[in-house]
Amino acid sequence: MVQKHFTIKNAQGFHMRPATNFATAMAGYPCAVTIKYNGRDVNAKSPMFIMAACIKVGSEIDVVCDGEGENEALAAAAEMIESGFGE
Amino acid sequence: MRITDLLKKEGIRIGTAPASKAEAIDLLVGLHEKCGDLYDTAAYREGILAREAMGTTAIGMEIAIPHAKSEAVKAPALTAITAPAGVDYGSPDGMPAKLLFMIAATTDGDVHMEVLARMMQLLMDMDLTEKLKNAKTPGEFLSLIDAAETAKFPDEVKAAPAEPEKKGYRVLAVTACPTGIAHTYMAAEALAKAGEKLGIPIKVETNGSGGAKNVLTPEDIANCDGIIIAADKSVDTARFDGKPVWSTKVADGIHKPEELINKIMNGEAPVFKADKKAEAASDIGNESFGRRLYKHLMNGVSHMLPFVVAGGIFIAIAFLIDAAKGVPMDGNFGSVTPVAAWFKAMGGYAFNFMLPILAGFIAMSIADRPGLLVGVVGGFLAANGATFADPFAAATTPSGFLGALLAGFVAGWLLKLFEKLCDKLPRALEGLKPVLIYPLAGLGIVAVMMCAVNPIMGVLNNALSSGLLWLNQHNLGVVLGCILGAMMSIDMGGPLNKAAYVFGTGMLAAATTESFQVMASVMIGGMVPPLAIALSTIFFKNRWTAEERKNGVVNIVMGLSFITEGAIPYAAAYPLKVIPSCAVGAAVAGGLSWLFNCTLMAPHGGIFVVPTIGKPLLYLLALAIGAIVGMLMLAVLKRPIKEEAAED
Repeated sequence: MVQKHFTIKNAQGFHMRPATNFATAMAGYPCAVTIKYNGRDVNAKSPMFIMAACIKVGSEIDVVCDGEGENEALAAAAEMIESGFGE
Repeated sequence: MRITDLLKKEGIRIGTAPASKAEAIDLLVGLHEKCGDLYDTAAYREGILAREAMGTTAIGMEIAIPHAKSEAVKAPALTAITAPAGVDYGSPDGMPAKLLFMIAATTDGDVHMEVLARMMQLLMDMDLTEKLKNAKTPGEFLSLIDAAETAKFPDEVKAAPAEPEKKGYRVLAVTACPTGIAHTYMAAEALAKAGEKLGIPIKVETNGSGGAKNVLTPEDIANCDGIIIAADKSVDTARFDGKPVWSTKVADGIHKPEELINKIMNGEAPVFKADKKAEAASDIGNESFGRRLYKHLMNGVSHMLPFVVAGGIFIAIAFLIDAAKGVPMDGNFGSVTPVAAWFKAMGGYAFNFMLPILAGFIAMSIADRPGLLVGVVGGFLAANGATFADPFAAATTPSGFLGALLAGFVAGWLLKLFEKLCDKLPRALEGLKPVLIYPLAGLGIVAVMMCAVNPIMGVLNNALSSGLLWLNQHNLGVVLGCILGAMMSIDMGGPLNKAAYVFGTGMLAAATTESFQVMASVMIGGMVPPLAIALSTIFFKNRWTAEERKNGVVNIVMGLSFITEGAIPYAAAYPLKVIPSCAVGAAVAGGLSWLFNCTLMAPHGGIFVVPTIGKPLLYLLALAIGAIVGMLMLAVLKRPIKEEAAED
């Protein structure tokens, strides 16, 4: 199991498009991907769950990858979040 | 921010069949436009399409949530459609969209994020999304969301209604009826109950006989959505300026309270303008002429009633005291003993106000405050009988009760007409109108009118006197008895009554048996009307309101004391039913009294002067028969009132 701490940079946070793109990207990895935010575990392979978590700009989150391909998944997640989802 | 704060029924369409994603978007944008959420529909639609171009807003599970943050949005809002056949929305899971929400977000703030998050939390519930897709009506759709949101975020529920709800009472009401005992409060209760049932906070002011209760404050009025006036008499309406006001009769308050409340809530009530005099308010409820007439009349009668009751009882006490003292039963009877004299004088003073108050409040009901002067003075002139030739009323005939009615109505209307003419005066004179122009013109109008009317009454009076004399000279005693009895009861203090009474007392001086028979017929005719009415209120309860029944008892005392005025409130309220009945009853009694050879040596005093009556038992029998005839005829003429709409 690997995990990394992030601060959300893009102004609109995990709104629909980042959530959908992020979830679609994570769904490509066999490992489980979870966003820990505000004391809750959010299934990062579902855009709905991500959106429902209402993760705004400046929020502190941990992305946890557990299972096969966990390192690759975490690296991909880090790239998306740190780039501000290209916004 | 609750979903249900943003999504309205009008923003939902069930069972749409868009052929394409573009058509679905057009439907949702159209709903936003219809709800008035947008400044610029085209610009907003542009924003939605630009967002779709960056990637679909379908989120799987047959749900799509197109959205745009745009300057074209007035305030954050949601619309929704269901498309049972589905529409291809390019969803990541390849499923067609059947449940579509569109978010309109303003460019400032995070509302759009929060709404999205909130919706996702709700839509994760598959059970709910299935139900939403199958909803039959927008109302069902909305209540499903409301229920789910309430279940998921229970903490908000208590806080939520308090914040957006407007403060204070939504609907205000004023209820009033002429007597102010029963209907005022029945209407108030019905309205309060209806408000509770409809979930609309309502406050009802009752303008009953004990004064206004639960009075509407300026704050109540400022905060409310509208005011219901359910009244059969004038109420103070100037305070409702600029608010929607629905005016109707008190019976509607009792029978159709929900309808009245809905009229206010649906904005059907016209906005009331107080600058055109308070009277206008009672006109907007499209009242008939007859109803307005009745309302004016009852405003006078209800204000006069206390004077009649208190004065009449005082005078009866005076007779009682003198009778107990055994003083001579002549013209001074009732004011011989000092205590009796005091009661008689005080009661008489109260009686003196009867006609001025009656006419004054009729005219005030018609012409508002300036009407009070013309009515009061007119009523006074009717009572003292002043004419142009004899302005000090040294030797004239009062036009009495009928003259006072005339003064109240005609002078009131003339003054109102004059007020309308004054609208053309320069604005600079506005301040002078109520303090100088209206009073001056009003006094002039009523003084000329009554001085012109009184001599006509005087002529009538003289003609009657000579007619009565002729009958007496030609030995038509029974007919004379009947006529005298009827005359006493027709106008109760007016010219007919005065003519008969003056004739009767004039005959006393002759001191013959016949002259005493005349006086007996006169007095019995004046005693029948209150008794007939009192008996009717006892034996034909369903003809009268609770208030009228209560006052009926007082009329027994009045009738036995020869105080015909006790019948005036009833005669004024239902003249075409009460007056003929009383006249017939009195005529029967007067004729019988003559037939029985009853005599009377006292000019007044009623039952208390029985010792001066020749054949007293037969006299009482005649009285009883007359009263019963009057009662029976009244029962025929006056149909039973409907349970509650009594005052119509």
